[in-house]
Amino acid sequence: MKPKLKAISRFQPEPRETILEIRNLRKVFNINNAFVTVLDEIDFSVKGGEMICIFGRSGCGKSTLLNILGGFIAPSSGAILLNGKGVSKPGPDRCVVFQEDTLFPWLTVKENIAFGLKGRTTEKKASEEEIERFLSLVGLSEFRDYLPREISGGMKQRVALARVLILKPKVLLMDEPFASLDAQTREEMQNLLLSLWEKLSHTVLFVTHDVNEAITLADRILVMGKDPGRIRDDISVDLLRPRKREASEFLLFSRELYARLRD
Amino acid sequence: MKKRTVQTDNSEFQTPRSAFRILPWIIPLGFILLWFMVSETGMIPTYLMPHPAEIGKTSYNYILGNPGEAPYAGRFLDDAVASLMRVAMGFALAVILGLPLGIISGRISVVQRLMGTTINGLRAVPGISWLPLAMIWFGIGIKTTVFLVALAAFFPIYLNAAAGARQINPLLLQAGAMMGVKRLRGTFAILLPGAMPHIMTGLRLGLGISWAYLVLGELTGVPNGLGALIMDARMLGRIDIIVLGIIIIAVIGRVGDQLLKTSLRVCFKSARRMT
Ligand SMILES: Nc1ncnc2c1ncn2[C@@H]1O[C@H](COP(=O)(O)OP(=O)(O)OP(=O)(O)O)[C@@H](O)[C@H]1O
Ligand SMILES: [Mg+2]
Repeated sequence: MKPKLKAISRFQPEPRETILEIRNLRKVFNINNAFVTVLDEIDFSVKGGEMICIFGRSGCGKSTLLNILGGFIAPSSGAILLNGKGVSKPGPDRCVVFQEDTLFPWLTVKENIAFGLKGRTTEKKASEEEIERFLSLVGLSEFRDYLPREISGGMKQRVALARVLILKPKVLLMDEPFASLDAQTREEMQNLLLSLWEKLSHTVLFVTHDVNEAITLADRILVMGKDPGRIRDDISVDLLRPRKREASEFLLFSRELYARLRD
Repeated sequence: MKKRTVQTDNSEFQTPRSAFRILPWIIPLGFILLWFMVSETGMIPTYLMPHPAEIGKTSYNYILGNPGEAPYAGRFLDDAVASLMRVAMGFALAVILGLPLGIISGRISVVQRLMGTTINGLRAVPGISWLPLAMIWFGIGIKTTVFLVALAAFFPIYLNAAAGARQINPLLLQAGAMMGVKRLRGTFAILLPGAMPHIMTGLRLGLGISWAYLVLGELTGVPNGLGALIMDARMLGRIDIIVLGIIIIAVIGRVGDQLLKTSLRVCFKSARRMT
């Protein structure tokens, strides 16, 4: 038997400041000439460096919320403040990792990662080093010259992660990015995300409907209800990392979360 | 960096490489063989279809003979250059107009709505009905031919560019926007490469049809060019020259298509990697 290791690691959080405020967000869609309120009274704030999971059942409006935060769709009312300033358009301060493959199929792994850096006024040599660093951070140095169609789904999501992290976004938005991966790859990707987060300490908003994923990753879980989509609960997950799925506290949390999902 | 090669063309799995190489030549060679055999038996009189050997002699004379020695001797270079220039000018015009307009109307529905009806209406008009009008406008000669070529090549280029721009995965544009890509760069870094397979199809179709309309334009009585050659030969009853003209146009058309494809691949990553 191996000695039972108590979970350790994870730097102690410094006193953090609020960087993202979502104020009374509301979204009404016109579906077949009927107005449907998909999101209502969405109100929360995010501290710098926090890892937040937005959790809820299919169709409760998680993607809509993330798309509003990303600036891809406009809210019906309410405001999003990033460092106190209102945002409405997409921009590299709020990068998104999509669930679907959105790599540019005509660019290699390396070119995809470099894409956002081009057009920035950085020195060529410095950005070259930065690209190498992120290639190795996501473990794809050997695959730099491959095209997206030549790599696996998990590798594609690594590229998608690297190409936005290299831009140093203030907030990283992720919409079920690992949902289409097999269980083992998904776990690998979660670990990768956590290790990158510890190294780079960016802020993450992660949408998921997978209970275990939420508990593995989150500092805080925002549980969304349906019709209209609201934030029903705001749960702090104070388990030490790395979190083991077999641990009793983990199971406790997951039972609790399942229960809230049901009612 | 080692790179695993990826087979995208699975037909190569079924046929060995060497056999694959000769595949395109089987039909032309078979056709020539058949022609040869039929001519040898004398089943078809030579005033309908001359013997291949005679075409060989004619082409030697036409391509390499000394001008003035015999009718058509040594005219090849002159005709080919004249025709190539007309096709190049007409095709270039069609690209300059068709490509940007197509891309814009593929992305902006107001433009699509504005242009759609007109373009589809004009597209329905057969090229030959433009000929009389073009002759009145531009007279006999190079302008009429260039006009007809440009007109004909415009439609496939425009329509395919529009389709290519329309079918781009909107998530790719969203991804660009969130990475801070502005309009101009987005057009060249995302829109054009994303539409490249369609654009390439449009350009190839456009170049193909250019040759058809070149001949039409040159039938109007210009002194040189491959179309003029064929028309001239018809009046003099030189069927060997007619057949030779057809063969030359086929060969130049095929080579031109290959050149277009290759140069797009050389110039654009997207053409290299996505088609
Ligand atoms: N563009 C749109 N127009 C009209 N209705 C929409 C639009 N986008 C989303 N909806 C509606 O909003 C609701 C929430 O959709 P959304 O995609 O945000 O859910 P979700 O929580 O992300 O679901 P899932 O977990 O399945 O991804 C759905 O009922 C959907 O029909
Ligand atoms: Mg969703």
